[in-house]
Amino acid sequence: MPTIAVDAMGGDHAPLEVVKGAAAISLETQIDVVLVGDEQHIQAVLDRVQYRPERLQVRHTDQLIGMAEEPHAAVRAKPRASLLMAVQLVAMGEADAVVTAGNTGAAVLACARYFRPLPGIRRAALASVYPRQTEYPGQDQLALLLDVGATIRCEATELVQFAVMGSAYARRISKVPSPRVGLLNMGAEANKGGDTFVEAYRRLGSIPGVNFVGNIEGHELLKGKADVIVTEGFTGNVVLKLLEGVADILSELVGAAARESWRYRFGLRVLESGVERLRSLTDYTAYGGAPILGFEHLLIKAHGRSEARAISNAIKVAAKAVRDGVVGEIQASLESR
Amino acid sequence: MLCTGRKVERPSPIVYRWDLDKTYLRSEFDRFRDLVKIPFEKPEDKVTVPGVVTLIRNLRRVARQQKREVRVYFISASPPQIAKAIKEKLALDGTEYEGITFKNQLQHIMRARFRNLREQVGYKLTVLLRQRAEFPQEAREVLFGDDWESDPVIYSLYADILAGKLRAEELPRVLDLLGVDPELASEACSLAATVEPVDAVERIYINLERGSPPGLFEPFGPRLIPAFNYFQSASCLYQDQHLDLDGVAEVAQSVMAEAGLSPTHLANALADICRRGYLHPHVRDTLAMELARRQLLPPPLRHGVLARLREWVRRQTRRVAPLPRLLPPHQPRIDYIQLVTHWRERHSAPNNSQQRREL
Repeated sequence: MPTIAVDAMGGDHAPLEVVKGAAAISLETQIDVVLVGDEQHIQAVLDRVQYRPERLQVRHTDQLIGMAEEPHAAVRAKPRASLLMAVQLVAMGEADAVVTAGNTGAAVLACARYFRPLPGIRRAALASVYPRQTEYPGQDQLALLLDVGATIRCEATELVQFAVMGSAYARRISKVPSPRVGLLNMGAEANKGGDTFVEAYRRLGSIPGVNFVGNIEGHELLKGKADVIVTEGFTGNVVLKLLEGVADILSELVGAAARESWRYRFGLRVLESGVERLRSLTDYTAYGGAPILGFEHLLIKAHGRSEARAISNAIKVAAKAVRDGVVGEIQASLESR
Repeated sequence: MLCTGRKVERPSPIVYRWDLDKTYLRSEFDRFRDLVKIPFEKPEDKVTVPGVVTLIRNLRRVARQQKREVRVYFISASPPQIAKAIKEKLALDGTEYEGITFKNQLQHIMRARFRNLREQVGYKLTVLLRQRAEFPQEAREVLFGDDWESDPVIYSLYADILAGKLRAEELPRVLDLLGVDPELASEACSLAATVEPVDAVERIYINLERGSPPGLFEPFGPRLIPAFNYFQSASCLYQDQHLDLDGVAEVAQSVMAEAGLSPTHLANALADICRRGYLHPHVRDTLAMELARRQLLPPPLRHGVLARLREWVRRQTRRVAPLPRLLPPHQPRIDYIQLVTHWRERHSAPNNSQQRREL
């Protein structure tokens, strides 16, 4: 079974929720976890939860990178930060993948610093998953969006590489034999979006093994037209935050309506199961995390607000990615291009 | 080689007392169906907790090497009707023992005291106190139980009664709080009154068979060690000079074989018991080195660029490693009224897994 290094100090609710998530994994699965962080804080949480000590290793470090810290400066100033130590453990072969809910920028920089890029890869891509409609039976309820912030501006070659990597990842993780790949753009036509996107469109159409379905517009993001949506980091990040914001607002509106009148409360009561389903679909804790792609090892980035369940799921995603040979699949796809 | 810890001037007799179900035997009685099955189980069908047989064998061996009188007793809450199967199982395992006590359930049924059928505290406490009267005054004791019922409370009460740390008026109140049958409570109090005070109980080992959070046992003080497996117990017993390195290695081997653990898993378990403050880091290091030499723990890294890099990371973590958690050097006085109240609150809903997972 794979060994997953977990940044115990990363995230808004670290180390409490991270350690609780890892403890749950030690009881439910055969996955070995290395918790990297302040030993005393970690043990203080473990003392209060059920866990299997045989499957949990603790590596102590006294430094951590905060969520609001400037990534470059933090990575330079804190060589023993829990995130960097966790990434190093994987680079040294003591663990197979990393999970962090910590500072995203620092996570990307840590990967760039300690992991070797895959042959031919110019830039890394940070992926994210989000719920959407499905169009055919067996289609995954989650779509993969990349890049969401690792590479702010991209060239056509990089967008093509993102498409190949995302397609390989979805093939292994979502078990979709031929995932549909779309290019997020401002129009469906091939000549939209400027030189970079026009060139990327042209090249994606002729790559064997990539099921390119053309450009995807904003209103199609939540439909099942594509399983993998490729874009540059700037746009991807805006889209991701917009989706999260909409989900939060919806949930808030429902609550506000319920507070306003007993009739709304009654209506919501009637629609309870539907509202619950909607909530579960937009619940990021169920999806765990998404990978940083482009390196010889995997880092799964969980949401900064992750609680125990999300961390557990992120560890499961990391273990599954290792077990299913996601990196090997990506490498093979890149070589066969 | 024994670690240097407490010095024993003249070896006094040592008594190891074991609970049977969930401590020695991996009895399943979570469901009524399992409970009904127990009387019909053949000796060869009964399964022991990984490492326990090897641990008892080695405890006897080391005690004999130390020229120390050693006794092993079992206390079971099962009825005498299944004694034959259990004794045959112990014989099959090659486990030597001086005595085994079963609970006379028939007597409770005849007297229509059905509440006493599941009662543990009064029964075990009276057995422990009655047997103590048969031991030499200077006999030391190590007690082994589990987190399934009330072993931590029973053993701690017994230890404090022996040590004279429990006020005379406190015991009846505690037993009443625990819901002990008045007749048994009165017997326990009479037996307690006859005890010559001696701090005889060295340690209480609680096998976390149910997976209770270890922090739950902090109120019992450092005398009680909650251990996730018998390798952790063996490491602490080595620290207290009840085992030697060969003994720990044999237990490690058994736990690995019977529980399907790897050397890395054992190393994690060793680190865990040290992190929780029950094992001194020096003892951990000695054990880690010796067990690695015997290929029971992962080997230390020696050569190559990668090994040097790993060593660098290890040095970084060691350089900033926090001081080991310090448990109080002496057993503090336990406020049993408070402890029992909390214990019952937390233990009364044990089947709520969410509640158990997080205190």
